[in-house]
Amino acid sequence: MDRIDHMGALFMRHPATVMKSSAALARYVTCCLLGGALFLMAVTPVRADEIVCITCHSALPEKYGEPVKLWKGSVHAENGIACNACHGGDPRDAANAMKKDRGFLGAPKYNNVPEFCGRCHVGVLKDYLSSAHGRALASGGPNCVICHGNHQIVKASLELINEKSCSRCHSYERAKLIRGAMQETEAMVVAIDARIMAFKQVGTDTERMEKELFATRNRFHSLFHNVDVKKVIEESTRIKGELKKIETALAALDQQSHTHKLVGALAVAGALLAALLAHLLRKTFD
Amino acid sequence: MEKGGRRKFLGICLGGCVAGIAAAVLYPVYRYLAPRSGSGATARVEIPEKDVPEGEAKFFEYGGSSAVLVRKRDGSLVALSAVCTHLGCIVQWEKDTQGFLCPCHAGHYTPDGVVTSGPPPKPLTKLPFTVANGSIRIG
Amino acid sequence: MILLKRLIDWIDVRVGVREVVEKELTGYLLPRNINTWFSMGSVLLVIFGIQVLSGILLLIYYVPDADKAFKSVTSIMNDVPFGWLIRMCHAVGSNTMVVVLLLHMLSVLFMGSYKRPRELNWLTGFILFTMVQGISLTGYLLPWSQLSFWATTVATNSANAIPVVGPALVEFLRGSKLVGPATLGRFFALHVALIPAGMIALIGAHLFFLKRTGVSTPPFGLQNTTNQWQGDSYHHEDHPGGIPFFPNYAMEDLRSIFIYLACFLAVVFFDPYLFFPKDAFIPANSLVTPAHIKPEWYFLANYQVLKIFPNELIGLTLQGAAMTFLALLPFVDRGKECHPLKRPLFLLCAIGGLLLWIGLTIWGHYS
Repeated sequence: MDRIDHMGALFMRHPATVMKSSAALARYVTCCLLGGALFLMAVTPVRADEIVCITCHSALPEKYGEPVKLWKGSVHAENGIACNACHGGDPRDAANAMKKDRGFLGAPKYNNVPEFCGRCHVGVLKDYLSSAHGRALASGGPNCVICHGNHQIVKASLELINEKSCSRCHSYERAKLIRGAMQETEAMVVAIDARIMAFKQVGTDTERMEKELFATRNRFHSLFHNVDVKKVIEESTRIKGELKKIETALAALDQQSHTHKLVGALAVAGALLAALLAHLLRKTFD
Repeated sequence: MEKGGRRKFLGICLGGCVAGIAAAVLYPVYRYLAPRSGSGATARVEIPEKDVPEGEAKFFEYGGSSAVLVRKRDGSLVALSAVCTHLGCIVQWEKDTQGFLCPCHAGHYTPDGVVTSGPPPKPLTKLPFTVANGSIRIG
Repeated sequence: MILLKRLIDWIDVRVGVREVVEKELTGYLLPRNINTWFSMGSVLLVIFGIQVLSGILLLIYYVPDADKAFKSVTSIMNDVPFGWLIRMCHAVGSNTMVVVLLLHMLSVLFMGSYKRPRELNWLTGFILFTMVQGISLTGYLLPWSQLSFWATTVATNSANAIPVVGPALVEFLRGSKLVGPATLGRFFALHVALIPAGMIALIGAHLFFLKRTGVSTPPFGLQNTTNQWQGDSYHHEDHPGGIPFFPNYAMEDLRSIFIYLACFLAVVFFDPYLFFPKDAFIPANSLVTPAHIKPEWYFLANYQVLKIFPNELIGLTLQGAAMTFLALLPFVDRGKECHPLKRPLFLLCAIGGLLLWIGLTIWGHYS
């Protein structure tokens, strides 16, 4: 979970998160009045303390404060996508933050949730709407948050398809088939992701591979919304082919680091040999 | 004189060793400084003009990545990288709005690759191309 | 061979090189009981040379611009042939330089070599030590990673504790209110120009003092281990009947240098990440503070001292006092005895201080 910023950085330039101290005092005072949240300024995480939504809502009871706590554990928080990215409003002006004329949207109604999330996740929205789940939305079918949760939205994974979750509405049989078909590919995605991260942590430039994996994973995960078993199997095979390409690139990196170690062993041996020779030569002068 | 011979032998060995180490240092330094020949300027793609009707886009592989040719409503051609500058997804052509849309996080681009909305930080990369004898040559 | 001899003859009759060799190398006699610790200075010279050369090579591709620095370092590590090797040598070398420097200083301490008439050697050496700390600190910022950015933020921030001028000083150090492009500019200039130039000058002075006063006699294996210096007139400490610097001690120097190189290369090739936390490979972001930001290992004790005391000024004053005491040690410790076992008070303080430093470092690492 330490992919701190390669995605978030781009969003961070959005005005919502960047503000300086001139407005801070006013914000401070308003917040004290609203929520009695004086001390919270110091303990909220760095990114979040720039946004008035969080300063005030953290201090509010249950229904109003809970979303902040949930959001902090989400993939959105991890990438710097804060409240206003979905709910609109003005995160810099506490007094007017939740006014309609500042673009505040509030919470969507049940049936409007897919549209709400789909403003950003357009590809997923399309797949979802054409699936059995999406078509059943008007008649009480599941919307996004039924499976993905709200506020504490985590990165989509195969874990979301499980007996407990699916059998809230229908039998697990078909879902199980789909999950089975996707299991191997998912395992590949997870394994490749871990290997890329390991290389990234030692300074390898993995940007291109990360982007490739991201795009492939996205294509793969949009399949989750499809309930057509045959199509899932077909697409999974194609995606596996693309993942193989990334694996080849990773194998080349492995080979490279192996070569480095071999050369290193020779270099160390050379230095030790020279030290030994110097030592022996020194002894001849005694 | 046995000591002298031994000393001479060791001296030569040490000298050789130091020379070897010097060479082992100089080679990486030379490679580090040597000008690098530009690679990847080799591949060219040819597409028949009739494959790209007005208002349509044609996706193809170029230089190990995805690219797209668009013929705008005014009849002019544009060649672009199809890789979204946000996170690397492949953009889609929206015929009805005459623009590109990235399905991952709703980045919108004009047919010229300029960002109109969404998170992409940069426009799509333009690719050089020439048209001759009813064929478009990219690269 | 004959050609070489004639060339040397040609030079010799003009410049008198044989006389210089006779005086400075083969005729330069060192104490008979000299030991390996005396070669640490040569090792340090080699390390400094490697740092300068690898630094110049890095300068070719490094871009000192906040928007481009991280990218240029990534490119050196990934795209430039052997760039990773040169960068790793520079980064690992900065750490091993501190290790060898500490060994050099400890051996000088325990053998009493810092005592008069060598106060100036100790003083220039001590200033060199602080300059190494400075060059490490400024170099740390240059890759413009999360680690660089936040370590520099924390380090410069400690000046805040100084009364009255603190905040102004912090801003002056950074060149702006917060660490930013302005900081990179001045740290870059310090790292590649001012501090190295200063170090070269001080190394020159250090060697000049060594040359003029003469090599000290190690206190081991002798009956009389007291300092013989009278202090009435200048006197070069000779070692009649000693061993020549060349070839005898030069071989010992070489042996130490190659043993050092073997250790150094082992780290460079097998585990350079010993000195790289993962934040070192994430670009700097002034809006996200990483969870566990720690200074380099040799600053951990200083860092921990600042954390122990509720008031940072106390911590800072203590550190300043300790550093001043160490810098002026030869003026404080005026005893003639050099053998560590015949200096119980010194031994107690030195070992106690060392253990305290190690303890604080470990504490700082795990806190």
